[in-house]
Amino acid sequence: MTSYDVELKDIVKDFESGGGRVRAVDHVSVDIADGEFFALLGPSGCGKTTTLRLIAGFEQPTAGHILIRGRAMEGIPAYHRPVNTVFQDYALFPHLTVEQNIMFGLQMEGVHKREAVKLAGEALEMVRLPGVGERKPHQLSGGQQQRVALARSLVKQPAVLLLDEPLGALDLKLRKNMQYELKALQRDVGITFIYVTHDQEEAITMADRIAVMNEGKMLQVGTPKQIYEHPETHFVADFIGETNFIAGALTERGGDGYGSVRLQDGSVIRAQLADTLGSAASAVTVAIRPERIGISTPLNPPTAFGGGVDSSEIAMLDALLVDSQYIGTDTRFTLRIGDGIELVARLQNIDDLAVNTLRIGQKVKVFWQESSATVLDR
Amino acid sequence: MTNWLKRNQKNGSFLAAPTVVWLLIFFVLPLVIVLVVSLMSRGRGGVAELPFTLAHYARSFDVFSIILWRSIGLAALTTVVCLIVGYPLAFFISTRRRRRAQQITLFLVILPFWTNFLIRTYAWRILLGDEGTINGFLMSLGVISEPLSLLNTQFAVLVGLVYGFLPFMVLPIFASVERFNFRYVDAAHDLGANDVRTFLRVVLPLTMPGVLAGCALVFIPSVGAFVTPDLLGGAKGLMIGNLINNQFGGSGNMPLGSALSIVMMAVVMLSLLVYVFANRRDTGA
Repeated sequence: MTSYDVELKDIVKDFESGGGRVRAVDHVSVDIADGEFFALLGPSGCGKTTTLRLIAGFEQPTAGHILIRGRAMEGIPAYHRPVNTVFQDYALFPHLTVEQNIMFGLQMEGVHKREAVKLAGEALEMVRLPGVGERKPHQLSGGQQQRVALARSLVKQPAVLLLDEPLGALDLKLRKNMQYELKALQRDVGITFIYVTHDQEEAITMADRIAVMNEGKMLQVGTPKQIYEHPETHFVADFIGETNFIAGALTERGGDGYGSVRLQDGSVIRAQLADTLGSAASAVTVAIRPERIGISTPLNPPTAFGGGVDSSEIAMLDALLVDSQYIGTDTRFTLRIGDGIELVARLQNIDDLAVNTLRIGQKVKVFWQESSATVLDR
Repeated sequence: MTNWLKRNQKNGSFLAAPTVVWLLIFFVLPLVIVLVVSLMSRGRGGVAELPFTLAHYARSFDVFSIILWRSIGLAALTTVVCLIVGYPLAFFISTRRRRRAQQITLFLVILPFWTNFLIRTYAWRILLGDEGTINGFLMSLGVISEPLSLLNTQFAVLVGLVYGFLPFMVLPIFASVERFNFRYVDAAHDLGANDVRTFLRVVLPLTMPGVLAGCALVFIPSVGAFVTPDLLGGAKGLMIGNLINNQFGGSGNMPLGSALSIVMMAVVMLSLLVYVFANRRDTGA
């Protein structure tokens, strides 16, 4: 018996738009476990908010099925679903006080007024905002309104809490604090969170699993680590963090999940094959994260990976250092390998020797572990 | 010059001087005259003369109280009907997704203003008359055998007033619904409120400023309506506006007419006070 809180089965959502049809959600299927912090990540217009609104019941899917706690949601209006939403602009009722806002949902359930007042007070304490019950929403700061919106939803004790870019309107510092607080709160209450965001860092730091969406499709679902370290498509690799893409031709597929790619200048590197790689693909791209790339000179031999790695599992190429950029924690180097292919490498500014001895125009070697590079469809 | 303007920004009351002078001569002064006349005795030919007396006010509330109450009642009923008809209409207009559909429906609401009010009210005489369109139609269908007496009734006045003042209800409500953020409807649904409760607890309170403004804009001119009851109401539908008109014209009793005017203004002022009070409570200021 699996305990999935939310199951999306082949969901499609089309919108009519000026005579034409726009597909906002394109055959999305995913199962979200009980108590999971699940992030829907993607650029604006990728269908993540529409997906959330479908779960909430504000929109009806064109095709497919939504199950919440195993129960089919067809024909069940938003006000009968065991989910609650924290809206991007909070949508606190401006004519009601904070307390009345929080009590609203309880009163709709028929909770007695005295009980509702008590629960509202507790909810405000839970979001660490006691004593503001008598105020109107507009008298609170953005961060406080955000907490009230959270309290208003959580007081209903939903099976699933849907959050639509809840931190989007806050300034950076407050955002960071709220990220930790939200995560801690989720752990405490144990409610399943489905969290929509376009901020990859937010998704990576908060979520148990991330679904990356683009153009209505769910491209990859996985833990933050899987998504970051093993992107399965060009889009995911590009959208999450910074990535080098090197075009090449796949010349050999090994049985061990690795393949050989010939680059445009003729050199051959080995890299891990993505699961999604087409079986007939030959024109491919190799993706590698800048922080995975090391730079070696006669003064700095490649020792960075320590023991346990066979030197045969390391790719090494000649390169010309064309630029360096100091960015605080790291220094960002631009390197030219072969014929006009440029790579970006990031070295942490902890090893003065490695960083300070490098000069623009210098001939160096770049290297990385073969397991850090992924072969993707171009 | 600019500096001088800046320095005088705060005490720029001189900018209001033309308005103040205009209002003093053409608004305050006539009002004072009416007030004074209302307290004087009726002289020969209906003009006012000394001594001062409160007799006209006594008559206003005594003999004419029926007409005063009828005016207030009809105006209140007009307001209620306009609200019941106008709110859904305003809601319909402002929720049209296509800009063009919204413009057209809004245009249709304003269209009647292109024709003279008097002519439009006459048209209702043709519609409501014994041999008018409505009776003719019903009789040809055989629904009725004798014409319904629609014209020269309070009902006819009500129809005319609702017809005339409906746009004044629709437009402010339309503006309110336009400003209404439909995310609140999602939020209410999300919190378990069905459509009816969402409307009563969220939509209606948040569009209340438009409702109140619409009610004030319909009620106030309805109380003093003069053309509509004159053309459609006959003797049974007489309103205070007609009464005042008579005192200055045919009946020739300027002090009584003035007293009735002052009473009517008091009613309007009272309703405005209710409006201001309701609005203040509503916005929580």
